[in-house]
Formats: sequence, structure tokens, C-alpha cells
Amino acid sequence: MIIVTGASKGLGAAISQRLLSQGHRVVGLARETSQIEFESIDCDVSDYTSVKQAAKHVKKLSENVDAVINAAGIAAMNLAVTTDEKTVARVIQTNLMGTIHCCQLFAPLMMRHKQGAFINFSTIAVALALKGESVYAASKAGVEAFSRAFAREMADFGVRVNCIAPGPIKTDLLRGITEAQIDKITAQQINTKRFEKSDVCDLVEWLLDVKAESLSGQVLHIGGV
Amino acid sequence: MVRSEALLIVKEVIEAALEEKRVLTEDAQLIGGEAVLDSMKLVEVCLALEDRADDLGFEFDWTSDAAMSKSRSLFRTIASLAEEFQRQSGG
Repeated sequence: MIIVTGASKGLGAAISQRLLSQGHRVVGLARETSQIEFESIDCDVSDYTSVKQAAKHVKKLSENVDAVINAAGIAAMNLAVTTDEKTVARVIQTNLMGTIHCCQLFAPLMMRHKQGAFINFSTIAVALALKGESVYAASKAGVEAFSRAFAREMADFGVRVNCIAPGPIKTDLLRGITEAQIDKITAQQINTKRFEKSDVCDLVEWLLDVKAESLSGQVLHIGGV
Repeated sequence: MVRSEALLIVKEVIEAALEEKRVLTEDAQLIGGEAVLDSMKLVEVCLALEDRADDLGFEFDWTSDAAMSKSRSLFRTIASLAEEFQRQSGG
């Protein structure tokens, strides 16, 4: 069984569909699950209690959790000085705290069986220090740092932890970003191609495969930096 | 569940986690310099206690706010862990 957060839209929805098409049992977590057409649980990752309830629910499903994919996230593309306090708090709470909550509370379900994988999401904005993404990049830099240390904590339990850091991918998170701005960002990647959701799904698939068994504590940049 | 039952269960679970046989007293430390378990074994003990609680029909929550905020006392000794296990059993 694979848990995907942020499963109602964007990357989370695409990843869920890919995994379902491969025959995995996928349980989607989202604040709004009414539009999800597969097994799902209402969960606001920014709320520790909500994640805890979801973890309890998953435990009661009595099936091994093979992976948790932390795809839930929000963005705030603005200069730090023009980003209000509430938005800053919301971005940190959802992206960083949400990832930490899910890792903390779902880890015991994998540690018990001495196997599993976490895939967390960062962004190329961390490595490129993109203008207008300081708050978003800060939240994701936290995710990267957390993931690297958490990977060490999980290693003895056979659980791998890695991060995917995509460049601009067409999702709701890019709302308000112009094509020219996207081009400017992709021009800074090693591979300047515009990557798609399917490229992220390919990497997720590979990270979940036994062939990626040796990989933990890594941040994989789609497009390269 | 009475205290002695909880203590017995906690001791059994810790003994199973330890690779070598050793005499465990109630005041044996679970965290800190003199701890009988390393951090990995301590997590294994918590997971095993979760299973034992499931068998007994209650939920042992070692990640609760209450447990975490009192974590120093909860994991300080075998006795403190047993007392928390007993408390959560409703006994």
C-alpha cells in the first residue's frame, strides 16, 4: 500500500494515477477528498492531529505501508517583503511541518516491517535561490535538511528517505507565473527542457523500485542544477 | 491492568529486544548514558508494546502529545514506561 498526500490535484494526483495504473493499492490523503475517485482519507497535513488520525486509519487497514509520498504543498511566489505574515506561516506549516508530521507519524508503520520508502518534495528553487520564491524555497530547504537527517534515523529500520526537487511543472502551484518567467527558470537548469508531471512520476516509480535500494538521503533535481 | 502486569509485559518486551540476557530492574534506565537500550531498540520496544496493547484491546500511543511532553519521565525507566502502559490500558 502506498500513501500519497496532496492526492486530489497536481503532482499528488498524477503520481497516484500512475501508481494505481501499475496495480498498487494507493490511499490518497487530501483536505478535500470528494473529487478523489480512489481510496482516500480526509487529512490536512499541516495539522498534526489530522495526520495522526489518518495514520491511525491507515494502521487499521492492516496492510503493510510500502511508501509514503509527501506531495502535498502550497506555493507563494512573491518577494518576501510583500508576503504577509499569515501566508509565510501557512507555507511553512504546510510544506515543512506537513512533511515532518507525515514522516513522524507514518514512519512507525514502515519501521515495524523494516522496509519502506519516503519520497518528499523539494524544489529546484532551493538550489537556484530563485528571486520571488524565498519563502517557498525556505520551506523546501527545510524539507531537504529534514529528509537528509531523517534518512539516517530510518536507515537502521530499512526505510529509505529521498527528495525530488522538480523545476517548474505545470500544476496549480505555477498559477500566476508567466511563460517568460518559467523559461527564465528552466534556462538555469542543466537540462533546459520543460519537464512534465510524467517525468516526476517516472522518478517516483524508479525511487520505489528495488533498483533504487541503495539510495537514501538524496535530493534529486529534475532537470539538474 | 494492574501495575505488576504492565511491568511484566514491559520487561518481557525489553528482554525480547535485547540480544543478550540480562537482569532488568524497575529502575533500569531506557534513555541516557546508562540506558539498557539504544534508540533503535527503544523504538522496537514501543512498536512491540503497541502490538501487545492491540492484543489486549487498547491503544498504546507513545507518540501522543502527553507522552512526548513527558517523554523524559515516560522513557526514563522501565517502571515509568510500565506505569504509562498501565495508565493507557485504563487500569
